Amino acid sequence: MTDQAMKEKHIVRSFDTELEAVQAHLMRMGGLVETGLSDAITALRERDVHLAERTVKADRTIDELEELVKTEAANIIARRAPTAVDLRVVLATFTIANQLERSGDHAKNIAKRSITIAQSASLDEVTAAIAHQAKMVQSMLAGALDAFMKRDPDAAQSIRERDAEVDATYNTVFRTLLTHMMEDPANITPGMHLHFVAKNLERIGDHATGIAEQTIYLVSGELPDDDRPRRDQTPTETTEAR
Amino acid sequence: MMNDMSKIEQGIAVDAVKIQARGVQVFYGEKQAIKDVSVEILDKTVTAFIGPSGCGKSTFLRCLNRMNDTIDICRVNGDIRLDGEDIYDPAIDPVQLRAKVGMVFQKPNPFPKSIYDNVAYGPRIHGLARSKADLDEIVERSLRRGAIWDEVKDRLHEPGTGLSGGQQQRLCIARAVATEPEVLLMDEPCSALDPIATAQVEELIDELRLNYSVVIVTHSMQQAARVSQKTAFFHLGNLVEYGDTGQIFTNPEDPRTESYITGRIG
Repeated sequence: MTDQAMKEKHIVRSFDTELEAVQAHLMRMGGLVETGLSDAITALRERDVHLAERTVKADRTIDELEELVKTEAANIIARRAPTAVDLRVVLATFTIANQLERSGDHAKNIAKRSITIAQSASLDEVTAAIAHQAKMVQSMLAGALDAFMKRDPDAAQSIRERDAEVDATYNTVFRTLLTHMMEDPANITPGMHLHFVAKNLERIGDHATGIAEQTIYLVSGELPDDDRPRRDQTPTETTEAR
Repeated sequence: MMNDMSKIEQGIAVDAVKIQARGVQVFYGEKQAIKDVSVEILDKTVTAFIGPSGCGKSTFLRCLNRMNDTIDICRVNGDIRLDGEDIYDPAIDPVQLRAKVGMVFQKPNPFPKSIYDNVAYGPRIHGLARSKADLDEIVERSLRRGAIWDEVKDRLHEPGTGLSGGQQQRLCIARAVATEPEVLLMDEPCSALDPIATAQVEELIDELRLNYSVVIVTHSMQQAARVSQKTAFFHLGNLVEYGDTGQIFTNPEDPRTESYITGRIG
């Protein structure tokens, strides 16, 4: 893959226009997901039910944009028979649209749960840890989209490496929640919902990582195959040792 | 890994070299058309030569059966071996060579003879048939390999020029395979054909690959992607890149290849 080929224009200019359009729609989608996530976390922290409801509704636009991006990508494949870097741009765009749509769903789920959480006992310590986790995930998502548009595999690689921190924070939140729920059954309702919020954030971190990997694929033609360290220890977690 | 798998699926004998070209240079008078090309063409494989007009791909193709000998001002340097044998050795008879390395051209060019005689011509001059029955059998087998037997079997003695363009091209392919060649060179064999006839010829190329080494020059990148397992990209007389077709079309190594196959100015 070469910078040269990416900067050169196609002889058929409408091909460039179509490639630019589909990526512009993808970026608009990315912007809406970032806003949705940020609003969902604000709604959670500030117990703002109205903001939460607006955030849930806003996800529909993200879904519509995903449809648009996928239709445009399919049209380019059918009509332009893209090859090499063009093919990889279209395939990466298609995959990233999927990952953004999933991320949007996770943000919507956080917003929904924040409505229930607003009516339960507050667990400030956990909410703060989740806000910290959210900040990391937001910056990963923004960074991954930025790396994609700049075709920057080094930036993408550093995003991949940051996912371990998100997983580690998730582990901490998971354990803290267990402790709170064991201490006082009144914490179980907000605790369960906050756990899902943390899990949603952890999943968005995975999608941001996936987006970063698409940038590496776009530039190099190959997906990174080295396994990232798995930091999620919760599958084996019990209350016994507590 | 993926490439290995696709080779197994396609039943390709992996990496048996049929033609080996080393340091090939071609001059038309003072003008150098091929700079310094080395490549190994594999047996039972379709190799596509792609590149912009004037890049040397047809010139190089025509070196492989010494068609350039017919052009007075053309001079070929370097070494081209078919099964290890130097095809430019003075002891080699170009006519015999061309029976082994058959050719199909851009424009279907049946002889102004009957369908039967078009196919029988090569076997006759090379003395491949001992009897009329023998020749009948060769003609039928060749027309079947050309995937045109069913369409012409009831009118073998009508003129070949009366067939449709796509049929004429398949007749020419049948004619080329009648001398039992080992390599089949095709210079833009579908550029004068409609999409249906093109698909029929492409299907035929895929079948021919089981028995022959096929080299095809094409201006249609999609055709190269569809029919070949190996692709060679020529530019300004150089062989810029040669590799598995899947790799060339998804992740070419050279920026010139990338610019060309993606339709950018390069």
